[in-house]
Amino acid sequence: MKTILDYRSYLDEKKVTSEELFNESISKAHMYQEKYNSFVTILDEYNHKESDSLINGIPYSLKDNFSTKGILTTASSNILKDYVPVYSATAYKKLQDAGGILVGKTVLDELAMGGTSTTGATGSVKNPWDQNRLIGGSSGGSCAAVALGIVPFALGSDTGDSIRKPASFGGVVGFKPTYGRISRYGLFAFASSLDHVGCFTRCVKDAAIVTDILKGHDERDMTSLPDENINYTDMLDNDIKGKKLFYIKEITDPELYKDAGAITLEVLDKFKEAIEKCKKIGFIVEEVSIDEKLLKAIYPAYMTISCAEATSNNSNLTGIPFGPRGEGNNINEIMFDARTKGFSEFIKRRFILGSYILLKENQERLFKNAQRLRHMIVDKINSLFDIYDGMILPAGGGIAPTFDEEIDRLSDRYLILENHLAIGNFGGYPSITIPSGFVKDMPIAINITGPQFKDGEVLNIANKIEEELGYKGLIKEEYDV
Amino acid sequence: MVTKEKLKDYAARLMFDMDDDGYDRTLKEFEVIEKHMDLIGKIDGIENVEPMTFPYVIYHAKFREDEVKESLTNEEVLANSKENKANQVKVPKVVL
Repeated sequence: MKTILDYRSYLDEKKVTSEELFNESISKAHMYQEKYNSFVTILDEYNHKESDSLINGIPYSLKDNFSTKGILTTASSNILKDYVPVYSATAYKKLQDAGGILVGKTVLDELAMGGTSTTGATGSVKNPWDQNRLIGGSSGGSCAAVALGIVPFALGSDTGDSIRKPASFGGVVGFKPTYGRISRYGLFAFASSLDHVGCFTRCVKDAAIVTDILKGHDERDMTSLPDENINYTDMLDNDIKGKKLFYIKEITDPELYKDAGAITLEVLDKFKEAIEKCKKIGFIVEEVSIDEKLLKAIYPAYMTISCAEATSNNSNLTGIPFGPRGEGNNINEIMFDARTKGFSEFIKRRFILGSYILLKENQERLFKNAQRLRHMIVDKINSLFDIYDGMILPAGGGIAPTFDEEIDRLSDRYLILENHLAIGNFGGYPSITIPSGFVKDMPIAINITGPQFKDGEVLNIANKIEEELGYKGLIKEEYDV
Repeated sequence: MVTKEKLKDYAARLMFDMDDDGYDRTLKEFEVIEKHMDLIGKIDGIENVEPMTFPYVIYHAKFREDEVKESLTNEEVLANSKENKANQVKVPKVVL
């Protein structure tokens, strides 16, 4: 297991050069590619801009929906399969300016829509802990690249749980800060009111280091937050005694899952063990109750809002300004052909849903009601954050599913347990998933979400819990070379 | 009532088509979402809530200065186009 700071000390002590680290990373990336399929593109050119930051000379990966000037950027969709951008995302620029070394662009669910990393144009990503299982998505390639030890950190995007859910399946840390903390300029838009940039790392401290580099106002993203003179890494060891956390009864009560399999019950049992450990180190942890009707509505509301925004955001994918040109006798036929061939059925279904939601006669009943529901959830959680410093929950109700398991996120039993992470997107809250143990030799995780703008506080809480749980820097033995 | 024909019309307006089976699967998906959205519509007091379009109110939006920024060179633009002629990007005929 190597963290950013481990690499930092090897470089500072001149035990290794950054070019050697890059070469080691790309050779691992190639070695694991056939088996796990983390990458769309593995770079072969070492490109380093010196800096005095902590990540100077350290390799990393980017999800393939970040625009990288001169480097293929496909969003794992055939409609962009040959697209080489002429501009770079702000997040990518900041990492390059900080001396990071880009190793490759990682596989995602097509256009970041999905939670499995099985819908990308170049195939499914496999879970490093068991290749018969999926890694989750949509940022699955970035998660696997970190879990395999190819890079110590990777960027992803998170619209519903696309960083924090795969992190739980891959045994790594997944963090998305407050909405707007990191510029979205150059990140291909999925659902603009829910999209966040975030990172995968092997420990909470690394997530703070990467976020400290990425945060800040960007005049190219009008929703990016103003700069603050706060260093999250410096806050990690602040005293947490007396800080208050809550968990939600309607999500975590084993009584609700009496008919569930042994795995779900074990996950919930281990969650309660983690709560006891939090209390032991000085947190006050309390159970709260939230109207189940609101919680059950999270996923349908998420689908409604995200599909509607996605339909509109992706209307520029016509094969005319970028992507493979369609065939036809006029401009309409050309676009029709490009879009018919370029999108998978899965994406088309979501676009149709989005378009239907936005029809004038449906807007009030579907789109606006979903937005109203979002408001009700956020008001409720905000009112709890007036009392509590954070919310702690299991990241999901199981371990990474096998490829042939049917995943029904809308089934009544799991409707809340598998989808609650979208609360973090509804309210734009800083939210982090950290490994909390194993069930059936597969990693499980807890999630900590805090009030808007309190990124440093959430990282501080997570860092203290990580220390106590003792699952920092998980990596399967065979990759720890 | 959503029908397969309507779905085909929505797809056509979105400028794509798909296999017939795809429309069947879409129809099933619609039923589930409609069922859940009906439940949302019945939540007490939802009609009195303001729809939320962003996670929080953004107060800091401001106009930026009208400054000249770096832009693409002619060579960069042409390098990014599949077809070009006489130093210009060639696009399909739009005016019929």
